[in-house]
Amino acid sequence: MQPWRSRSAVRGSLGLVVVSLMAVACGGGASTAPSSAPTNGITPEPTAEATEVPPDQLTGELTVLDWSGYDAEDFWTDFKGTYPNVELGFEFGISDADIYGKMKGGSAADVFHPYTGWLQFYVDEGLVAEIDTSKLTNWDKVPDSFKAIGQIDGVQYFIPWDWGFSSILYRTDKVTGEVDSWDALLDPAYDGHVSMWDDGPAAVTVSSYIHGYDETAITDDQLADIKAEWTAQAPLNVAYWAAESDLVPLMQSGDAWVAYAWQGAYATLLGEGVPVAYANPTEGRNSWVGVYGISASSPNYDLALKFLDQKLADATSANLPNLYYYGSANGDVMAGITDETLKEAFSIDDPDILETTNFTPNLTAEQRDAWTAMWAEVKASQ
Amino acid sequence: MILARRAGAPQGARPADPRRRTFWILALPPALGLALFLVAPLLFMAALSFRTDLSGTLLAPFAPTLKHYAQLASTAPFLRSLGLSALTALGVAAAATALAYPLAYYLAFRAGRRAAFYLVLLLVPFWTSYLLRVMAWKLMLGGEGVINSLLMSAGIVDEPIAALLYNRGAVIVTLVYVWIPFAALPILAALGRVDVRLHDAAADLYATPFQQFRRVTLPLSLPGVIAAFLMVFIPTVGEYVTPLLVGGTSGTMYGNIIQDFFTRAANWPYGSALAMVMLVGTVALVAVGLRLVNPRRLLER
Repeated sequence: MQPWRSRSAVRGSLGLVVVSLMAVACGGGASTAPSSAPTNGITPEPTAEATEVPPDQLTGELTVLDWSGYDAEDFWTDFKGTYPNVELGFEFGISDADIYGKMKGGSAADVFHPYTGWLQFYVDEGLVAEIDTSKLTNWDKVPDSFKAIGQIDGVQYFIPWDWGFSSILYRTDKVTGEVDSWDALLDPAYDGHVSMWDDGPAAVTVSSYIHGYDETAITDDQLADIKAEWTAQAPLNVAYWAAESDLVPLMQSGDAWVAYAWQGAYATLLGEGVPVAYANPTEGRNSWVGVYGISASSPNYDLALKFLDQKLADATSANLPNLYYYGSANGDVMAGITDETLKEAFSIDDPDILETTNFTPNLTAEQRDAWTAMWAEVKASQ
Repeated sequence: MILARRAGAPQGARPADPRRRTFWILALPPALGLALFLVAPLLFMAALSFRTDLSGTLLAPFAPTLKHYAQLASTAPFLRSLGLSALTALGVAAAATALAYPLAYYLAFRAGRRAAFYLVLLLVPFWTSYLLRVMAWKLMLGGEGVINSLLMSAGIVDEPIAALLYNRGAVIVTLVYVWIPFAALPILAALGRVDVRLHDAAADLYATPFQQFRRVTLPLSLPGVIAAFLMVFIPTVGEYVTPLLVGGTSGTMYGNIIQDFFTRAANWPYGSALAMVMLVGTVALVAVGLRLVNPRRLLER
């Protein structure tokens, strides 16, 4: 954690020096200009520097539609440091569908935070503005593979920010042997001790991995089989989980032995000394990426862009893995991780892990409706 | 107006009956509030349920479709869930009302000077969050919870009973607990109106205490009982928070399905159709129930 802090401190002070130099330059220009003004009676044209308000004097308001917890200052520490006089407000959504619904319903938020799978609709419905990446100073730190995730039809609509895995989390003291396939979630041997994520698209994804379906082209027959599969699986669950904070105590108490999980739960449980392992299934792990977009109706586009840029800055990005066990889209930060638990959680020493990982594809509106309806039927059948 | 009265104008010619005006002044704000915050959203939701999907402008006109209602009619698990939720609500309402009655009876007739204090105690749970009270039941019923720990330390069971939490039973127990204080209030109000001299009169006529209760107190308190029952039944049909927290995979209720279509599926039109069916169904059930019981007849007797 410390190297990041110190590096950003250096960058921060460098930035301050630059800013103050600019201020001096502007001040000098301003003080010299009037002396020449009376001679010709014309107001001097403002220089390019003069139109650019210094960051620490920039004021304004910005509203972010985010997930609860993401309002933590750790997640915008660079923005606060650089633009101390901009007022940041937060609204919250409880799921991707909820955030989409709020944006669709006319939320006044300037910036919003969806996850992979849910990006296409924002573009289709004209809810998101294109990102002018030339104005992002931290953009070069983002690997191209991540940049591509924020592009729809070749246009950069979103900036990637946080990412992680989905895989099978299991209690090594309750499960004999190693879990090496997603079908562990459907194994009757764990009757009453499974916990699946309460999410239709996730269920379709898991079934696709197990049966080798193409998850971007699930047929009606396949969807019917998937429904039957998860209807039969339902009684194996001790409970579905909706938030990571539901899953952690289930695993900790030993009520759940095998669960669909993000790496955050794994790292949290490891940190608390619970005997758990995070599978590398033969079908591959799933990976998801959180992105930020700017509302097409935002009157604060430039400010929102500054916010996104500071989101990608080093100190803010480093807080993701260090404090919350999430991956960051800032490649410099990820390359510099030394903590063993974090390396373990992200399988950083496994050179093939990203090759064998399945990134979540974007849903179509039809898939979204069909898959979530399928899942509601699975739950209602119990 | 005063001038008009002095002039001896006939009553009917007065520009406005002041009592009527008071009525409107008092009735208008709540009526406006209801129209704005209840009727308008309900109408919007009803309109939404006839939309094909969410694409396009939300307030623009659209070609109505019945496809969501047709889809619901052909989805047996949802209909079954609606039936089960109604049955659950009936059970919860009956249990909560039955358990609240003795409580209210004690407060009304036996608590004496301490009645006010006990009433405050009854309301204390409302001071904490609803979520907190439901979470408390997780601690009671969980694998390492209070009940299991007690049973295990007493040597009655060797393994924690998993069947206590994360099922429909847990939902029912939690809901009954949560609703008892609510149910007690209308019953208490009804019992408070019972003239205690009727008890003496009944006793004078050689009625046993049980007969007194059955023939005098209970019938007089029935309007409160029915109010309590409905107060529990109506919101419980659409309940979704409690099943989410203690219901597990088998405790899903109809309200959870509606919630899923709003917050997990972004399919507001289908969610609205599901909600409208529940609304109409609940209103119909209550109307039929009231018709059968006929509380006005009870009041007049």
